[in-house]
Amino acid sequence: MSRHTAGSVSLPTRFNLHPGIFFALVALCFATIMYAATPSSSTLNPVNGSSASWAGGGIAGATTDETTCVDGTDCDVYTITLTGSPANYKGLILAISISHQIKLNDYDLYVHKGDLTGPVIASSTAGIPETGEAVVIDPTVSGTGVYTVHVVDSNVAPGDPYSGVATITTPPTDSLAHGTAPTYANYQSPPGLGDSSGEPSIGANFNSGRIMTQAVFDTLQVTFNTNTSPATPTWLLKDGPNTSITTLDPILFTDSQTGRTVVSQLFGTTSLSAFTDNDGETYTVSQGGGIASGVDHQTVGGGPFRLCTADQLLATPVPCAQLAVRGPLTQYPHAVYYASQDIGDAAMALSQDGGLTYEEAHPMYTLVDCGGLHGHIKVSSSGIVYVPNKSCGGTQGLIVSMDNGLTFTVQPVTGSTTNSSDPSVGIGSKGRVYFGYVAGDGHPHITVSDDQGRSWHHDLDVGVPFSIRNTVFPEVVAGDNDRASFFFLGTPSAGDGTGADTGPTPFNGVWHGYIATTYNGGRTWFTVDTTPNDAVQLGVICTQGTTCPSGTRNLLDFNDLTVDKTGRVFAAYTDGCITAACIAKGNNSTASHTRLDNDQATKATIIRQSTGFGLFKSQDATPLKP
Amino acid sequence: MRKVVLPALLLFTVAPFAAARQPAPQILGLRLGMSYAQVHSRLVEIGQFKSEDEGQQVWTLTHDQRFQYAIIGFDRDRQVRYVTVLARPDGKPVSYADVGDIAHATRSGGPGNLRYTWKLSDKRARFDYLVIAKGKDAHHLDRYAIKRLGLETEREDRD
Repeated sequence: MSRHTAGSVSLPTRFNLHPGIFFALVALCFATIMYAATPSSSTLNPVNGSSASWAGGGIAGATTDETTCVDGTDCDVYTITLTGSPANYKGLILAISISHQIKLNDYDLYVHKGDLTGPVIASSTAGIPETGEAVVIDPTVSGTGVYTVHVVDSNVAPGDPYSGVATITTPPTDSLAHGTAPTYANYQSPPGLGDSSGEPSIGANFNSGRIMTQAVFDTLQVTFNTNTSPATPTWLLKDGPNTSITTLDPILFTDSQTGRTVVSQLFGTTSLSAFTDNDGETYTVSQGGGIASGVDHQTVGGGPFRLCTADQLLATPVPCAQLAVRGPLTQYPHAVYYASQDIGDAAMALSQDGGLTYEEAHPMYTLVDCGGLHGHIKVSSSGIVYVPNKSCGGTQGLIVSMDNGLTFTVQPVTGSTTNSSDPSVGIGSKGRVYFGYVAGDGHPHITVSDDQGRSWHHDLDVGVPFSIRNTVFPEVVAGDNDRASFFFLGTPSAGDGTGADTGPTPFNGVWHGYIATTYNGGRTWFTVDTTPNDAVQLGVICTQGTTCPSGTRNLLDFNDLTVDKTGRVFAAYTDGCITAACIAKGNNSTASHTRLDNDQATKATIIRQSTGFGLFKSQDATPLKP
Repeated sequence: MRKVVLPALLLFTVAPFAAARQPAPQILGLRLGMSYAQVHSRLVEIGQFKSEDEGQQVWTLTHDQRFQYAIIGFDRDRQVRYVTVLARPDGKPVSYADVGDIAHATRSGGPGNLRYTWKLSDKRARFDYLVIAKGKDAHHLDRYAIKRLGLETEREDRD
């Protein structure tokens, strides 16, 4: 006979549970039963008007995103089965909506194909104020059979249950973006600063309101005086103690929430790095990175640690405890990650002390899985780590870690094709992934995932309004879950605009900077030419790395994009065409636009959103001023 | 003739894992500093080309019971800069000690993420090299690499 220790309950599974946790789990089981949708399922037929409705379970609570909810506690499930074959639904769609009464409550709607482990094929995740969410699904594309509707409490107080409706109806005909497109202004760094500025990074400190940017040797602090309109910038050189001496690859990362900026320079087989909590006034020199010999394209990123919510802790205590081991070790609340590649693989190291020291890096992937170089780290609000890659088994790829950089999964970006620029991801506030990339045909594409890269939807060519045929340096930032911006350099000129340009006729093209913005989760995008009268580059932008001939790679490998606390978007880019003569040629459609006409300059320039909605809906009441 | 070649080939292949206490600058006959042509003639004997990325090649090893893939990086002169081999998930396990004397290696990482590094010199070829054995397991490696040091990599002249 076993002895029961006071204060614990022995279960046949050999787990010892505190009685409080045990009874909470029992209560959770009851809650699951009590708070299921009513009814819990329906069947719809391929007939216009076929419909079903249900009542939500009265769930209430708060979650960061779908991955942090516990069914029956702060999310519930409703199942829809579509009969017939996909072909039966030609000219029809499945429309699903939920509604509730109180605007300050925030429900989110996710629809999985199959059960909850299936791909999220549609979602609606608007923030407050809202009283409903809605999605449409095309069964001719996503098929018939079972769909699982997952209704998640983003932030819901008790007493405001939702109701749901699913209807087979005819599709909406309007796919254009509505409203007013944002506008942008360019700010060139003053003479003597940012004159040699390939590969710029940019970050926004939400606490100070300042912008930090780094390219090659210069780390610059930029403050915009908004008492005047247009705002006037003050640029100050704020180099780190060890990051202005030598460079192979510069990178800057600002954690907007904490205000910490990490600067890094690749140097041979080491990484020189420091961080600042006051926008470069003082720095602390750090270990550098967690990879002894990462040789290329290092990236630094960070954000919240992935830790369990109280509900998850009750539901799954063992994995939660394992996760907590990789949580913060100091007062600094967020994770910092360093990633790079060497000798056939790419690896990432976690810093649990704000970037001061790093663990031994863990492998992310090998060259068997993906191409060697990768894009930059982004971390979701729930602590999921993402690294994009331009080539993983024939498509673009996304490397995902759900355990603070311990293990990684390579997710193919289905439907995409590969190209030579590193892709970029932006993560919405509730976890939506926006993946911006250059497709195989040179067009700028962006696609969306609501299930951590397991499935993708709304893949769009956002260069269509300007007939873009060659694209480089895709950069993405997101704000609210439904809002994101996508910055890229593009030209409507066809031909090999990103090659070595060794043919008898040099590539002829005028490159501008474009920013595409969505306010509806990636369904439609406003695309704006942000440099309409001042070309960024004439002729080729070679993306073949160090094999590029001289005079073709002055812009190096990437630009960057960020958002400040008001939702205003900022882009950092290298301007290769800065003299009056070069600019005039760029504006003359009959002039020559080859590399021989270009300045080959590397001037640091910032694009600042002037007007229009920003990326945070909560700021919409205060319109942006130039 | 065949009697001579087979034992020689066996020695070539097994040597770095058997008695070698100081790991050699070669894996499976793929030696650091080999020319592109030399390494390819060896690679076609032991595997099939799979893919290439930024001048690095992935080969599937067709006969080896321990390793599934070989990844080869080249320097600007198209000589072998590094070789990495990846263990077969279901293959014959290779222990860290099979690579070399781990008492003379630098150990880093911890449980679930072990790394042994030897820094060595090839006196004959006059270059230094690293040997790295990494794995999640406490005893058996997932990957094993050799890397030539002192080279200007393709990155070091970029900016």
